Order: sequence, then C-alpha cells, then structure tokens
Amino acid sequence: MLIMKDISKIFQTGDIQTHALRDFNLTVNEGDFISVTGPSGSGKTTFLNIAGLLETYTHGEFLLDGEDVGKLNDNGRSRMRNEKIGFIFQGFNLIPDLNLFDNVDVPLRYRGFNAKQRKLRIEENLERVGLASRMKHLPSQLSGGQQQRVAIARALATSPRFLLADEPTGNLDSEMANGVMSLLEEINQQGTTIVMVTHDALLAERATRTIQVKDGRVSELEILAQQAIA
Amino acid sequence: MLESGIIIRALMRNKIGALLIALQIALTMTIMVNAIFMIQDRQQQMQRESGIDEKNTFYLTNTVFAQDYNIQVEMQADLNLIRKMPGVVDAIQINAIPLSGGGWSMALQHEPGDDKDTVSSALYMVDDHGINTLGVELIAGVNFTPNDIQWRASGQSTWPDKTIITKAFAKSLYPDDWQSALGKTFYISQNQPMQIVGVMKNLQAPWNGWSGVERSMLVPFQMESQGSKYLIRTEAGRRDELMPIIEKALAERIKGRLIRRVTTIEDTRKKSYRQHNATNKILTTVVSTLTLITGFGIVGLALFSINRRTKQIGTRRALGATKWQIMRYFMVENFIISTFGVIFGCIGAIALNMWLATTFNLTPINIELIIIGAITLFIVGQLAVLYPARKASLISPATATRTI
Repeated sequence: MLIMKDISKIFQTGDIQTHALRDFNLTVNEGDFISVTGPSGSGKTTFLNIAGLLETYTHGEFLLDGEDVGKLNDNGRSRMRNEKIGFIFQGFNLIPDLNLFDNVDVPLRYRGFNAKQRKLRIEENLERVGLASRMKHLPSQLSGGQQQRVAIARALATSPRFLLADEPTGNLDSEMANGVMSLLEEINQQGTTIVMVTHDALLAERATRTIQVKDGRVSELEILAQQAIA
Repeated sequence: MLESGIIIRALMRNKIGALLIALQIALTMTIMVNAIFMIQDRQQQMQRESGIDEKNTFYLTNTVFAQDYNIQVEMQADLNLIRKMPGVVDAIQINAIPLSGGGWSMALQHEPGDDKDTVSSALYMVDDHGINTLGVELIAGVNFTPNDIQWRASGQSTWPDKTIITKAFAKSLYPDDWQSALGKTFYISQNQPMQIVGVMKNLQAPWNGWSGVERSMLVPFQMESQGSKYLIRTEAGRRDELMPIIEKALAERIKGRLIRRVTTIEDTRKKSYRQHNATNKILTTVVSTLTLITGFGIVGLALFSINRRTKQIGTRRALGATKWQIMRYFMVENFIISTFGVIFGCIGAIALNMWLATTFNLTPINIELIIIGAITLFIVGQLAVLYPARKASLISPATATRTI
C-alpha cells in the first residue's frame, strides 16, 4: 500500500546540506497500525510529511497505492492527499472561524461532493466520534480531546485509505489521550490503515507495529522485522 | 464549490477587517462615481459648441485716446480696411465675445410693463455682417439690413426694434413651438418693442457657467465708444498669419488709438474652461489616489489575513486544496467583501448625488455610471487580491505539521 525505497530528503540552507532522511525504506500494508517513534530531530516529521505528500523527497522511490508519487505534479499530489490520506495533527488544526460541520466539510468540498453527499458524510463521521450533537459549535467551545475527535472525523470524512497522525495525543492529558487512542484503534479495526508518529512509548506500544527512526533511517530492529515479514 | 457560504460564515465571525475594507470600497465608490459624474458633466460643458467659427476667428481691442478722433468714421474705415484684406471673410465691431466671461445681459418679455415674466439673454451688438463674421447659422427669418443698423451712444437707453435670437432663446419664449417666436414682438427694458426677425441655430453667451448660456440675441447696434472690440473671421487656416498683419495695418492706418489684446477664440475658450480643466484634473487625481489607496488597503488586509492564517492555509492544502483553490478562496472572499462595499457604495453614491443635485443644481446621476463604478471596484479588488492570493497559494502544505 505504501512503499518507500531508499528515500532521502536533503534540506539545503546556503552551502549547508542537512540530511533529514537517508535511504529510508518502509513498507506499510493494508490494515497496519504503525507507530513511528524516535528522538527529536530523528526525521519522524519529515517522514510523515513525505508519506503524506506534504513535502517532496530528494532521492528514492515512493509508491502509494501503486502510484509513483515522484511523477505527480502539485495538483496530482493535492488530489491524492484528498482522496487517499487523512491527516490528524498534534495541534488539531481546526479552522477556528468555522463550526464543526463546516470544519469537517472542508476536505469534502475539495473532493467535489455535492451538498447532500457532504451533509451525509459530515453527520456520519461526527456521529462516529460522538460529536453529532455539537455540529454548530465552534472549536473553541470544545475540549482538546473533543477537538481532536473533530479532526479525526474530518480526516475520515473523505474515506481515506490511510490515516497519518502526527503526535495525535501530544496536546492532550492522559485521559483524553487514551480516549483518542481507543478511537484510532477502533478505526483501525474497521479497516483503515494508520501511521502514527509519537513520542509516547506507551501509546506506541498500542500500535500493531512499531518502527523507530534514528538519524533519518529506520532503525536496525525494524529492518530485521521487515525482513522477517517479507 | 466556491465556498461562498463558508467564507461568509467565517467573515461574520471575524468582521472588523472586512467591514473596514467594505466601508473603504463604499466610500471610494461614492466619491468615485460622483467625481466621474462631475468630470463628465464638465467635459460635456466644454464640448458644447459656441456656435461661431472658433478656429478661424480672433478679436482685438481698439482703444481711442485722441481728442479729435471721429469714432464713427474711423471705425467704418477700420472695418472696410479689414474686410478688403485678402484672406479675411468678414469683420465686425462687437460689444462682447462669446465665452470671454464679460458681456451684456438683457431680458425680453411677452408684454410691456413692470413685474412681467422675463427671459434673460446675452446681448451682442453687431451690424449686418454679424451673422457672417460670427459664422452662426441662420435657421429661420432674415439677417439685418444696412438700414437696420443704428449708432448707440454711451449710456443710451433706447433699443433698436429688431433682433435675431438663438433657437434656445426662442424655445425659452415658446417652449412648445420655438418657430412661432419668429416675427413676434417682445419688449426689452420693460416697454420697448423689439421684433424677432431671425433665429440662429446657436450662439453661446460670454458666461460658460450660466444656466442660460445658449440664450443669445443679436441687436443691430454699432457703439460709439472709445473702447471697442473688432471680431475678425478669416479663411480656413489663415488666422495666425493674418493676426499680426491686421494688427499692424490698423495701428498704422491712424494714430490716436491703441490696438491691443489680439486674441484667438480658441485661446478664449481655453481660458474660459481653465478652471473646468483644473478641477477635472484634481478630481481625476483624487479618484485615482483613492482607488489606489483602496487597492493597497485590500492588499494589506489580505496579506495580514494570510499571515495570520498561514497554518490554516497549510492545513487546507494538506486536506487536498490545490493552489488554485487557495487562490480562489481569497478571490471569492474579496468578491464578497467588495459586493457589500459596492452595495453600500451605490446607496452612498445616489445619496451624495441627490444632495449635489439639490445643492448645486446638477442633473441626477445615470445608472450606467453606477454600474461602471461597481465593475471598476470589483476589478480593482480582484487585481489587488491577486498578489496576496498567489502568495497564499505558495504556502507549503507541510506548514500544517510545523509548530508556528
């Protein structure tokens, strides 16, 4: 489903080159719930950005759902993000001026669904995260946990093939974090593939597979595991 | 899929900036439309025909200072000299020059007596060469004959019994049928009869700002005065060549008088409308500046809004928005703000025009101008937001995962 082969990402600042990812290899299969851990600056976020088509890579090969991402132009990447990927951000990234209904509506409009289809999907997904009764509320009227649930509803609304979660519980207390994790587990059990970047070792363990990123590479432990899977 | 509903709801929750821009647009439109209306009004005034052959006509002043100077004889000799010169079409003595700003005004009334309704008109004293020298078109009746011409002494209060008036003057006297004015006797100075023997197509008064500028009359008078003006019409293209020749010929023909202020009608027109031109330039500058300021205001607000929403724009990109969809968001947002501005601008423009029309006796504004004003401001808005919108579209979707 997601195959990265020898992916490198080099940031150039003047004469200085920074290797954020080096020969990064990873295969994510349908139904996986992968947690990505690693120290700060290890390249987790760069991996997530590349996996989510938010950034381009410098070298290597990246196939998403069989499509060579390197051959896509900006519009093609936008389309693929919209159709196949759902994002959950650490800071929720809800639009503060829009109520929950309109927030979940944002990616659906970019997909081009009609009003009836959008309404159905919005209500269905807000129901799924337990916030159907608060559709007209603004994000600021909700707790952090509830806001992250809205973000999850927004991510799920377009029926993506997989969810990319960037520290989804990073801004939540443990109780709320636990609730969000339970929701992600439930979503995964219903068939959605999830890749989650986290600092939290306990949460990482709840994933079905854990990879460690160190100095821009998948750590040896994971490489061995991948070989075993293969 | 233009997100207009979402944009309106978002604007309603964050209205101060948008409201200020909408107000700026409204104010700009109010002032712009009325200023353009005033410019157009002045342009139309400036384009009105004076009725005379402006390109080929000039005048000069003849000031007599000698004691033993026979004004009647010498004036006739002057005119004979000028009229015989090659290249001259005709020449007259005249009391006032159209558009020059100084002249005579008299009123005609249907019945003799005090407290009767009168219609005022500019008055030009000319001889039987008046029609030909001015180059006006006689559309009804006849010209004066040499026998009609009388000498007018300084301070004389009696008037000749014939006049030729403009069609506009005839219309003022007979609004339903101007032609019926021909042959009718009216009264000047309350009780002196004056018959209308001819009607001219048009001849403007000396005062361009006067509401009755198109009302003029010719009376068959020659003035026995120490200061007079000669109006000279030349063949096409020979005016500038003949001006110094005639000036010199007159100066040399007889001493005891000064020939001065040789001026073309074209220069008189320019001088007459100098204030109009200057006002139009000022109004154009004000309107252009105001429109530019509004444009900059839109750029400023859009840039501020984009800087404030960088993460939000990155998130939208992450959720699948293309660059064009991001650009379109800001362009639609601007269109919505402009729409509110233009609606209030229309109301403001009409209200200001109504006030101007009442206070300064202007004609009401036409709807086309309001439509053009609205379209202009929509275009200005869209052009102004183009750069910020483009900048927004270049925000990386990776901004969504960055901590700002």
